[in-house]
Amino acid sequence: MDISFALTGKGYVIVAADTTAARSIVKMKVDEDKIKVLSPHLLMAFSGEPGDTVQFAEYIERNIRLYQIRNTYALRPPSAASWIRRALADSLRSRRPYSVNLLVGGYDTSTHTPHLYWVDYLGTMSEVPFAAHGYGAYFALSLLDRYHDPEASLEDGLATLRRCLDEVAKRLVVTPEKYKVKVVDKDGVREVEI
Amino acid sequence: MEAISHAGIVIGVLSKDGVVLAAEKKVTGKLLDMSGATGGSYGGSGEKIFLLNSNVISGVAGITADANSLVNYARQAAQRHLFSYNEDIPVELLAQRLCDLKQGYTQYGGLRPFGVSLLYAGYDPHYQFQLYHSDPSGNYSGWKATCIGANNGTATSLLKQDYKEDISVEDAIELVLKVMSKTMDSTTLGSEKLEFATLTLDASKQPKAKIYNPAEIDALLQKHGLGKKEEGDAAAPAPGDLTL
Amino acid sequence: MNSFLTRYSSTSPDADIRKAKELYGEDEEVSEMMWGSAGGFGNLAKGVPSFKIPAVADPSSFLRMHTDDHADPSCRIKIKHGTTTLAFRYKGGVIVAVDSRATAGSYVASGTVKKVIEINPYLLGTMAGGAADCQYWETYLGIQCRLHELRNRERISVAAASKYLSNLVYSYKGMGLSMGTMICGWDKTGPAIFYVDSDGSRLKGDLFSVGSGSTFAYGVLDQGYKWDLTDEEAHELGRRSIYAAGHRDAFSGNTVNLYHVQQDGWKFIGNYDVSELHYNGPGDNVPGAPGGGYGYDIRVEGRSSSNAPA
Repeated sequence: MDISFALTGKGYVIVAADTTAARSIVKMKVDEDKIKVLSPHLLMAFSGEPGDTVQFAEYIERNIRLYQIRNTYALRPPSAASWIRRALADSLRSRRPYSVNLLVGGYDTSTHTPHLYWVDYLGTMSEVPFAAHGYGAYFALSLLDRYHDPEASLEDGLATLRRCLDEVAKRLVVTPEKYKVKVVDKDGVREVEI
Repeated sequence: MEAISHAGIVIGVLSKDGVVLAAEKKVTGKLLDMSGATGGSYGGSGEKIFLLNSNVISGVAGITADANSLVNYARQAAQRHLFSYNEDIPVELLAQRLCDLKQGYTQYGGLRPFGVSLLYAGYDPHYQFQLYHSDPSGNYSGWKATCIGANNGTATSLLKQDYKEDISVEDAIELVLKVMSKTMDSTTLGSEKLEFATLTLDASKQPKAKIYNPAEIDALLQKHGLGKKEEGDAAAPAPGDLTL
Repeated sequence: MNSFLTRYSSTSPDADIRKAKELYGEDEEVSEMMWGSAGGFGNLAKGVPSFKIPAVADPSSFLRMHTDDHADPSCRIKIKHGTTTLAFRYKGGVIVAVDSRATAGSYVASGTVKKVIEINPYLLGTMAGGAADCQYWETYLGIQCRLHELRNRERISVAAASKYLSNLVYSYKGMGLSMGTMICGWDKTGPAIFYVDSDGSRLKGDLFSVGSGSTFAYGVLDQGYKWDLTDEEAHELGRRSIYAAGHRDAFSGNTVNLYHVQQDGWKFIGNYDVSELHYNGPGDNVPGAPGGGYGYDIRVEGRSSSNAPA
């Protein structure tokens, strides 16, 4: 099952997701990117039912882009997350709902504040300082309760993420071998090596 | 279109820290029951100036019935946006929503366009304070200061003369009242002929619309030396109550 | 069904059990074969003791019928499953920390359960899984450990005690026992911890956590653990880890019980309320603790990720 983490720090959000695409007991791919860049300052990690994930992520990606084209400016992270949540909540009541869990991280350039939203396939949304989906949550959340610092520098934030990945590697039976890590801050989105 | 050029004038002035709207009321008279105006949920008599959303106020000129319909549409559009995005609708987007509707009525035969021009005074985090004007064809544009309705030519030249960049909201209020007093037919200004509203930010940086009730308008006019000479000042509220 | 009615019914499963008791005379829980006669080697010679089981055709399915709360939430017997327990070895001995919540389904049955069983002054057992199973068998283990002392004129090793328990529960495998326990103590070899569960697993190690909240405890424990911890740091780590699980796991919580095992036996360090730890921490005069509440919101109060220009 997919594992994703995200955490905020002083002026940034880090989003990390494993890169394995599995089917049954087989690894089909080991370098899959499960973090979409939705706009210059918005990231979304997605996990869940294979097929649904990419379909839903692309639907969101295109609609966020459409808003940006229509209005010249992009949706701010709180509004984008609300819209995404609404899309999931509406889907839940449809004939075939999307089973997708999300971490939406963005940097609001008008208030200079990073935002992180935890969203599950039922349309539950909550703004949080750190978040995780999948089995990683069971190991990382208590650790983040203990070590997360909202004012940490990017270097310290990545060190805290490293702790989460190490803990999962140490304790989880089937460990992902690689993670993709992206950061969003005032300068936009970039990928970092961990 | 004809109706708009005869309608009571509406003036809007944009400043760094707020937007000001003022409108001239045409439907007046001793017998008009204005008791609802003071007791409403937000100030104003509901003839010329409306609260469209917590971050947008508008002034209308034209066919009143059409205007009411558009105001209702705008309020619903704002609520739809809130439902989808959990944020106040951006001001330009609200103007666009109305203009899309208005444009639709120019395109098909057999339908009568809305005979209304509107001024939108609003705030959003993208472009801060904004002032827009839209006409019955569905055109809209942004302004630093503008006006619609009767004598708008006179008012516009007055605004051009006296508008300064980086004007404060206090100066904008003064400018609006001055232009209003010079363009309106009547010799003295009073709450029975005037509607007035401002949009500013409150202490927590959230937009705060204030549509003045009649007593507040009279007091404001007194403060700027434009009010009627009153024998006894007993009815006027203390100036302290009227700060923005 | 009405429990009062059942008690006096002559056709219910309860009646079957009553009849069985009368038939076999269940005064003694332990059969005579248990008490070793061959110079103290009787136990080992005869292997694992045999116990009475319900006098029905298939005892384990009989148990499952009455305890499976997933299939039948209205069943009479609900087994306590949610728990967090941990134990770790470090240079100063062994730290044992547990929570105190007992749940039956989603119901918090008790908040003051003792999940550390004091087997003897040198041995502690922790309790996860079925409360009754753990309590009963670890008390029973205590009896056997005492008998070992009397027979052999020396204390039982932690390895032997845990092996005894492991063999015992293994003999009941598939019959519905539910236990996940750590046998902790100090013997000739120094501090020792063995993990023993009802599947029959028995593992020797430096650091274990067991129960529904174990993953949360591991998250804090692993990141803070090193062999060279001071006693104060070790107490704090155990307490903080159980707090983490009590906070994140719905089936764990209420209070933390903390024990420290050293050469001269175990010592009870204290009982700490999880809510109190969340808001205020373990108290002012607790060495090793950083001071202030453990809770995230308490810890980061006033700090902000926003980097808006002032």
